[in-house]
Amino acid sequence: MEKRFLNQTRLGEFLETLRLFGELHAPTVSDQGVAAFAALSDSSALRLDYQRTLIPPKKYLIPFREELLHYGDGTYRQTRTDAPDIVLFGLHPCDLEGIAYLDLVFLGDRPDPCYAARRAGLTLIGISCEPDDFCFCNDSLRSAACDLFLTAREGGFQLAVLSARGEEIAAAARKLLSRGEALPQPGRTPSPITPQDPQLRFSDHPLWGKFAQRCVSCGACSVCCPTCYCFDVREYPALAGGGSRLREWDNCLFVTHGEVAGANFRATRLDRLRYRFLHKYCGFSPLDGMTSCVGCGRCKKVCPVGIDLRELLDTSPDAAAALP
Amino acid sequence: MKESSSGMHTPFSATLIDRHDLSADTALFRVAPQASALETLSRFVPGQFVQLSVPGAGEIPISPADLPGADGTLELCVRRVGHVTEFLHNLPAGARLGLRGPFGTGFPVRQMAGHPVLLLAGGLGIAPLRSLLFHLLRNSADYGEITLMYGARQPKVMLFREELSALAARGGLRLYLTVDFAPQEPAGAFSCAVGLLPDLLKGFSFDAPESYVAVCGPPALYRCLTEELMGAGVDARRILFSLERRMRCGIGRCCHCAIGQKLCCADGPVFSLDELQQIPEAL
Repeated sequence: MEKRFLNQTRLGEFLETLRLFGELHAPTVSDQGVAAFAALSDSSALRLDYQRTLIPPKKYLIPFREELLHYGDGTYRQTRTDAPDIVLFGLHPCDLEGIAYLDLVFLGDRPDPCYAARRAGLTLIGISCEPDDFCFCNDSLRSAACDLFLTAREGGFQLAVLSARGEEIAAAARKLLSRGEALPQPGRTPSPITPQDPQLRFSDHPLWGKFAQRCVSCGACSVCCPTCYCFDVREYPALAGGGSRLREWDNCLFVTHGEVAGANFRATRLDRLRYRFLHKYCGFSPLDGMTSCVGCGRCKKVCPVGIDLRELLDTSPDAAAALP
Repeated sequence: MKESSSGMHTPFSATLIDRHDLSADTALFRVAPQASALETLSRFVPGQFVQLSVPGAGEIPISPADLPGADGTLELCVRRVGHVTEFLHNLPAGARLGLRGPFGTGFPVRQMAGHPVLLLAGGLGIAPLRSLLFHLLRNSADYGEITLMYGARQPKVMLFREELSALAARGGLRLYLTVDFAPQEPAGAFSCAVGLLPDLLKGFSFDAPESYVAVCGPPALYRCLTEELMGAGVDARRILFSLERRMRCGIGRCCHCAIGQKLCCADGPVFSLDELQQIPEAL
């Protein structure tokens, strides 16, 4: 039997082993008390009891702002992406599934060079979690969308090796591991929510109007969503000549998002709110039909006016028809 | 780096050859791409777009007004209307530009073969349709009767009117021009109908069930024409709308050009009315 059990007492040494594979990042709590993935310079700052970070790990793959191109002498050139090797430790299954979705978007057809460079340097180590009241995953406590996955057991963690890189790490840490009960390999977690009748839920459902009256278009739900990736592109000239083209996170809840010359196709909050969730739950070309919500609960947690989409998704067609 | 000149993420270099003013705020820019871009750009299908970079200002989606010339030269019809276009209009000949693309779906020129084609252009919408018109006229043996109806606000903002009149005079093109209103002009300067495109269409007899109709213009035009065209008996699958959204990336990623669950840059910008009827925010 393979030795795949990590005793709780060897966790510190395991983290030191991980540092051999790149800069170690993990869940921590900032000075302001915000849970965040950050560089773990001191292993005692690790907070494995976290529920969810405010900003999801997408920040490692799509920085809030990054330079795509720079130009000078009349030519655009691709900016070299600074992509250090990073070991991201302690990701919950929902966040792993979020990264798996971003991989489909950015590495599928016409791979994005910046994303691809960052993704190649990233090692993902997942860990099992205990859902709280905000979570709406299907108790999907495990995920295979990583290199190594740690399932919490009595006195330690059972390791599942899920890639060649995961195998290398397990080999490097073999002296820290002992025999333990074997767990089946985690599979891909199914999407937590399948709106059975998108036409009903996403057309003129009266709950949209109720939500839209409260929504303040702050965009927090999109910023903290692990699978929201839409971006704007801006270009800035430099005073000394040349300049750069940047991309920045954008937000479909902002009024500017649906603007075209002389019109706005999503001028009202209701339009924008419904549009975001149509995309989230019914998919988008070329991932039409694919739900990208991973059930992390961040949008519900951060919404300043308490919009809980489960009200809509849980509403049965019959109950919806009976709504005033 | 291998990505440096693919035209996918990084623009090809291009040079502004010259410009020809078409109205007070609209000009036709001739742009020469770098030699290595010619093969990629030669795949252009009328209705597709390129992303034109103006260094220091940004990038805009433009649907070329003609197919690329043998030397790769592109004709881009651009109105001075925003940040990037303002920069472009102020550039001298010889200025360096960038080009990515071509992107998106063009008009289904193969399926259109053998059918009469009606082109309906409103305002600046003549630009993308001009490349389709030229394709049809150069291959006129493959197509049925070709008709262009073009509406502009007033005579002085009607683009390409001498060129279009000359093409019609040569035969092979039925041309109908209309303006929303016509201020007093010197006698004999220019004559055309006064009225909106849908009105012009009302009195027009054509082989509706067999025809393909290609439309490009402001959003209001699509809404008005839908009823007229369906009423005339044109098949919704053969009514082709070229839509405009703010495409940032051009390759189906930034989501700025989303129309319902479709992306204008990748699934369009040419859509059949049949595809759009289920999407409330499309038109």
